[in-house]
Amino acid sequence: MAYPNSPVNIFGARLTRREMVRAGGVLIVGFGIFGTACSNRGNSTARNSLDATLPGSWIEIRPDNTILIRTGKSDFGQGSTYTAYRQIVAEELNASIEQITTVVAGDTDLTPDGSGAFDFLGSGMPNIRKAAAYTYQALLDLAERRLGVPKDQLSASDGVVSGGGKSMMYGDLLKGQQVKLTIPVSGNLTSLMGLAITGDPPLKPVRQYKIIGKSYQNSITASKVAAKEQWITDVRLPGMLHARMVHPKTIGSTLLSAGQVDKNRFPTAQLVVKGNLVGVVATTEWEAIRAAQQVAGDTRWSEWKGLPGHTNLFTHLRKEADWQSTPISKSDKNKGDVAPVLAGASKKLAASYELPFMKHAPIGPTIAVADVRPGGAVYVYTHNQSPQALRGQLAQMLGSSIDQIVIRSFPGAGHYGRSNGGNAGAEDEAVLLSKAVGKPVRVQWMRPEDFQWSTQSPAAYSDVEIALDVKGKIVAYQADHYMPAMQDDRPIGAVLAGLPTMSAPDAPSSGNGIQDPWLYDTVPALLERGHGTMQIGQKASPIAVGLRDHSMRTPGQFQQNFPRELAISEAAALAGADAIQFRIDHTKDARVIGVLKAVREAAGWEPRPSHTKQSARGSTPLRGRGVSAMLRSATYWAGICEIAVVPETGAITVEKYTIAVDPGIIVNPFQLKRQVEGGAVMGVSHALLEEARFNESGITSSDWFSYPILKMADVPEIKVVLINRPEVGTYGGGSEAANALAAPAIAAALHDATGKIAHRLPLRPEYVQALLRT
Amino acid sequence: MPTITVNGARRDVQTPPDTPLLYVLRNDLEISSPQFGCGMAQCGSCSVLLDGKEIRSCITPLSAIGDKEVTTLEGLPARWAKQQRAPASVTALHPIQEAWIVEQTPLCGFCQSGMMIKATELLEQVASPTVADIKAAFTTSGPSAHLCRCGSYTAIIEAVQRAAKLMGKGR
Repeated sequence: MAYPNSPVNIFGARLTRREMVRAGGVLIVGFGIFGTACSNRGNSTARNSLDATLPGSWIEIRPDNTILIRTGKSDFGQGSTYTAYRQIVAEELNASIEQITTVVAGDTDLTPDGSGAFDFLGSGMPNIRKAAAYTYQALLDLAERRLGVPKDQLSASDGVVSGGGKSMMYGDLLKGQQVKLTIPVSGNLTSLMGLAITGDPPLKPVRQYKIIGKSYQNSITASKVAAKEQWITDVRLPGMLHARMVHPKTIGSTLLSAGQVDKNRFPTAQLVVKGNLVGVVATTEWEAIRAAQQVAGDTRWSEWKGLPGHTNLFTHLRKEADWQSTPISKSDKNKGDVAPVLAGASKKLAASYELPFMKHAPIGPTIAVADVRPGGAVYVYTHNQSPQALRGQLAQMLGSSIDQIVIRSFPGAGHYGRSNGGNAGAEDEAVLLSKAVGKPVRVQWMRPEDFQWSTQSPAAYSDVEIALDVKGKIVAYQADHYMPAMQDDRPIGAVLAGLPTMSAPDAPSSGNGIQDPWLYDTVPALLERGHGTMQIGQKASPIAVGLRDHSMRTPGQFQQNFPRELAISEAAALAGADAIQFRIDHTKDARVIGVLKAVREAAGWEPRPSHTKQSARGSTPLRGRGVSAMLRSATYWAGICEIAVVPETGAITVEKYTIAVDPGIIVNPFQLKRQVEGGAVMGVSHALLEEARFNESGITSSDWFSYPILKMADVPEIKVVLINRPEVGTYGGGSEAANALAAPAIAAALHDATGKIAHRLPLRPEYVQALLRT
Repeated sequence: MPTITVNGARRDVQTPPDTPLLYVLRNDLEISSPQFGCGMAQCGSCSVLLDGKEIRSCITPLSAIGDKEVTTLEGLPARWAKQQRAPASVTALHPIQEAWIVEQTPLCGFCQSGMMIKATELLEQVASPTVADIKAAFTTSGPSAHLCRCGSYTAIIEAVQRAAKLMGKGR
């Protein structure tokens, strides 16, 4: 029986046969704006140009029984789109993973849902899972009609549906017809979160999982290793010119006069100036580099000094920054009245914690190729975490419609959050240069520019007070977190050129919410507050640039978890308690207790109070250990760092780092382990080394010597304990959090080793050496 | 017209002699595995072998190559086949590449071409390196440490150890 012409309701989705076809046949899964979202017609939700009748659906099942999946989330090195997403779709569809032969990610004209390359597993409910669940129900419906067997007697395995003594491959169900499943979505395509699939299709019971939980390889790894992958750095278009930018002398400089290209030395080079945006294009890359250097030497900028300098950063933040204009945010876990408890505490801890600016620091600087066509169509090739949002930003800059703009995504150097709101740095500049010269243009920043003109993870400080009762239990916890606005998604080229952009993140600022979920639920009185202010220097800069901040791996939560977890370790020491048992004694959450016990066992941690009185002198290494814990993206974490510190030099070596992680259902154990190891290494790097330094005019960290990151010789022995909890029913993410766990554990370990508390990061030797002499 | 030998083939290049080898490889010869990371020999993303020794192509001018042979990631399978006196195969990879895949070493992977080049240099000199040997090779043996932002160092160490075993079997 062929499929009826009238639409069929599939748990709120619509299944329609579009046409009979002679050969082939396909099921296309697209979306429609249903329900309340209909009232949004006219805003960008309805304006998205992706028609589900075009090849832009989440899932396509083809007559040869192969399956193609598409997602707006571009891969950023964690590989989730090529591992977890294939596993999730295969599982929900009762197909084999080998059937999923193609993954399309991040191209705005080819993928359906937008949103950024973060939180891939969507706390257990990513779009792709729901899309697959709806699709499976539609396939059962099709099978019921084709096989004449009632749906409730049908089941499927490896892409073959069977029941009542009959069976048929998915591909054969579709032969001779083109069927479209339209599923309900809400949201805004070009926003940070993109479109979300709504409704509640039946999901496959976890106990029936066959594919989730296995360590499939990342399907893009082989092509990268074999030098077969096309990277963003490899994109070449016919007639393409190479470009280098001449960025202003300071982050508050305006252009006085642009230098001229020396045509004798650089015959093909061409200068482009628009406002304060200066770029040089040439036919070869080396000519563009040298011509840009020559032009830079001849270009004059106004002087500007409007920053406090990194040595005065926290004095500035405490005494000069305006924290009043931004509404204070409060944790939804706040309870009790902390003030009288703190006032009458038997023992009390009061401490302040300081975190520096840090850079996303991709190994390769930002790069993009833009092709602005005469009719106004714009094609941008880039490595970007949020291509749909970038599309919106470029449309705003150009005063055009997003329908004119296509973003294509390619692998590139991971930059851990920098572009999750839309731009990585070079895209808008490439567009402006391409528009100016009428040819495709490839813009690549040089290494110093990538440090000095990109955004950074915001500096922050926190004031924490903890009251202990006579038994050494926490009876009140108070934390005030202070952090400048975080999500500056303005494309810098548009800002410099004086073209339209979104607003700078003004007060009330973004990102000052309580980002670090409270874990210690038996503490009777809790007060956590988040304070925000404008970005440093933004108001004083004539071009409103300032120290632009952006979310970076574990954003905001890093800044709040370091003070909390270090303060909890200090409180444990004050109570004379073991730091892990102390944490366990302050929570009823079985998953918090579970990760703490697991990490304790894996590290061979013998319970004892932290050492507090040691002689921290001499050249003999002292050893210590520390612990930290976190809940992020539905995943529970605990980490133990074991360190050696040489008092004479202040040099810390992290010798062993043990991490326990409970994400609920583990989708892919080996990939998760690799992600956690990578995060752990980055975390040690953050803790020991990373600080973006700046003077009165801009960022002075400009290369890998002035912004060092961890080297292989300094990698600890890393042990990862994965805790699979199928009963939780969802899968949490694993690519964040590990980078934040290290710092409070290392600082607690330093305390354990020396009796001294480091209240700021990074723990570079000169700081630790000075600390140990106090 | 200067001619250089890259991955076993003589290649003519019409590029000014001061051009860094990186741009010659990527833009003129379409050999794209070495990546631009810093342009200052600080990170190792652009590493290639020059007569078996790792160099940084971002600071090495074309004029410095002379008669020496350049090997990039693309050339590793043929290099291994030649060392084994085996016929070059279009599908076979160098054991280092095989190990990199089995160990699922890359995260973003941008630095990994340089990492595999460094691994090749090491394993051609030291058949069974210790972890300390591996750490030293990737940290202090070259113009700078090889940097990975994603923190894949642990996976690299495991991949080098696996590659050493695979190469041992090959010999």
